[in-house]
Amino acid sequence: MTEKCNIAVIASHAEGRILPETMDLAAFAKRLQNGRPGTVEVLVLGEDIEQIAEEIAIQAGLDVRAVFCSGLAAYSFDAYLALILKTLAGKGFSYICAPQNSQGQEYAPALAALLKAGCISGVNGLFFEGGTVFFQKDVFGGKLKANMDSCAETTVLTVQPGIFRPEGGSPVSPGRVTREEYESVSGKIHPSGIQKAPADAAGIVEAKVIVAAGRGIGNVENMPLVHRLAEIFPKSAVAGTRIVCDRGWLPYSRQVGVTGATVAPALYIACGISGASQHVAGMRGAKFVVSINKDPQAAMFNESDVCVVEDIETFIPLLLEIFRHQQNVNAVPSAPGNEKSGG
Amino acid sequence: MKILVCVKYVPDPDHVVFHASENGRIVIGEMSEFRMNRFDEFAVEEALRIREGKGDVSIDVLTIGPARSRDVLRRAMGMGADSGVHLETPVDGYISPMTKAAWIAGYANGKGYSLILTGAMSEDMMNAQVGPMVAAFLGLPCATQVIQTRLPSVQGSSSGAVLPDVCPDIYVEREIEGGSREMMTIDLPAVLAVQTGINEPRYPSLSNLLRANKQEIEIIAAASPEGEASGETDAMVEMVMPEKNRAGMHLNGSPSEKAEQLIAILREKAFIS
Ligand SMILES: Cc1cc2nc3c(=O)[nH]c(=O)nc-3n(C[C@H](O)[C@H](O)[C@H](O)COP(=O)(O)OP(=O)(O)OC[C@H]3O[C@@H](n4cnc5c(N)ncnc54)[C@H](O)[C@@H]3O)c2cc1C
Ligand SMILES: Nc1ncnc2c1ncn2[C@@H]1O[C@H](COP(=O)(O)O)[C@@H](O)[C@H]1O
Repeated sequence: MTEKCNIAVIASHAEGRILPETMDLAAFAKRLQNGRPGTVEVLVLGEDIEQIAEEIAIQAGLDVRAVFCSGLAAYSFDAYLALILKTLAGKGFSYICAPQNSQGQEYAPALAALLKAGCISGVNGLFFEGGTVFFQKDVFGGKLKANMDSCAETTVLTVQPGIFRPEGGSPVSPGRVTREEYESVSGKIHPSGIQKAPADAAGIVEAKVIVAAGRGIGNVENMPLVHRLAEIFPKSAVAGTRIVCDRGWLPYSRQVGVTGATVAPALYIACGISGASQHVAGMRGAKFVVSINKDPQAAMFNESDVCVVEDIETFIPLLLEIFRHQQNVNAVPSAPGNEKSGG
Repeated sequence: MKILVCVKYVPDPDHVVFHASENGRIVIGEMSEFRMNRFDEFAVEEALRIREGKGDVSIDVLTIGPARSRDVLRRAMGMGADSGVHLETPVDGYISPMTKAAWIAGYANGKGYSLILTGAMSEDMMNAQVGPMVAAFLGLPCATQVIQTRLPSVQGSSSGAVLPDVCPDIYVEREIEGGSREMMTIDLPAVLAVQTGINEPRYPSLSNLLRANKQEIEIIAAASPEGEASGETDAMVEMVMPEKNRAGMHLNGSPSEKAEQLIAILREKAFIS
């Protein structure tokens, strides 16, 4: 394919820090360009972005357009939309890439609508076939993937963080930083600050073993099963999915996922969890993952080292019973006839 | 004050059957059960709560889809919404969020809605696009992942305050990474995409359901004569099974055998002694 492929990447930053998804986007854009002629450039928007722009140019080795806007201290829907339109509309970009985070998922679809562009969100795969590029995204909670195709002149993509990781090592030559300045954008949204999530009182970030409950637990009366399972491990904690916290079965401080905690325990036991990307994003760093789910097609099994297709209501009690039994047998000084075979 | 809530009829993940069609593609089987998109239940509930807090609010619910999607309007009306609008499509199948948003914006335009609520995301297609797109088409401000709303209260009044008929703005908190919240005031009219956990959706009441069954639903043919669907810029080509990201060893045997194997693995890895 000889057609020009110009790609714009919209950087995501907060509180003066580049968010890691920005570097993921840069890596994604390079793969998307796939040797085709054209440019990849990064757009950085904000008030105080000099350093961020320089850093991205160095780390990603891509040209950076720093769009300074007085008064734009933090991400804002109106301002981002207005500024991106001003700087990118009509410039012949084939793709505009934004992160599928709380910022990108908000402004990117609106941007696509205003640009009359295609829009594919939550991209977590891409492949080329016969000169056409296809984008993959999760559907049905990750149980299936959809292959998407865009025939628009411009396509806005939001890319799932944590999937396309930059290759190690700094690029040979840093990109060039160009600067543009805009007057403050007056919008219809008036920000009044950020309320920080409460600290991790439940200690799930430090736990070595996490037993996590999903909606498959069925009802609050079954929650003790999860707690009892956690008790057999030292340094363990109980966590859950958003649905479990929404229903009040666990406090929100124990929610794992994009809008909850990010954890990386040595062992993660997922009980009745479907494996939606928003949940997996928070536990991808776990060393060893065991999943118990009655649906053999649950997406969580694709993220697991050990898969148990069973009903948790019956399986967890059985597991605990067998564990206790083995312990008792071991605890009794081995007398003739009391020996345990196997182990 | 008028509120429009967009509700989608989706396959229930617990009762969806996937088939491989003749060309090897995965399709949703006839036996699948459908219900209201979970995120949209929270959007309907939020509208009801706003009405309870303010009074003098009318709530319209809108869905796009084939004839059977009407069920979801009855459910929303059963929960307490005032009336239903069905933008009916002739056939089942994938319609891009862009097309749906254009239809919704086309319907809502000029009808004087102060708030248009959507869910954060549809459970089946997981696009999280329709809300912001509707806002863009109507030139309205938008917030997604909304986890709290509050209309301005009248100074000095006691509970059950009656607000001025036209509210100038709404206080909104939206959830961002890690569970932190952005706080803001948004000028009305606005589009809000509602996140789960913002409230506790009620069940439809029998009396409301009976009322909803008698009430007429406005039905509008959604496919435009100009063949708007041909304007689709992005399309779902096919659905495929995902790949494994880890070993994914399946334990086999009876439940007790599986439990024994699992304990052995956990011992071997020294997670338990
Ligand atoms: C912007 C945004 C942010 C989000 N942030 C988060 C987040 O931070 N964390 C998070 O978790 N989610 C988050 N979500 C929600 C996410 O998309 C999913 O809806 C959620 O993770 C699903 O939770 P679940 O797996 O408990 O429930 P479900 O998806 O309903 O899955 C339940 C599972 O239990 C299984 N099951 C049912 N009964 C049994 C049984 N008896 N025995 C065994 N298995 C059984 C079923 O087969 C199914 O796989 C977010 C969504 C959005 C849109
Ligand atoms: N077919 C539809 N009918 C009505 N509303 C819809 C439809 N599809 C999506 N929506 C609304 O848009 C939200 C986001 O959907 P999506 O962009 O498909 O993830 C949903 O929660 C609904 O509120």
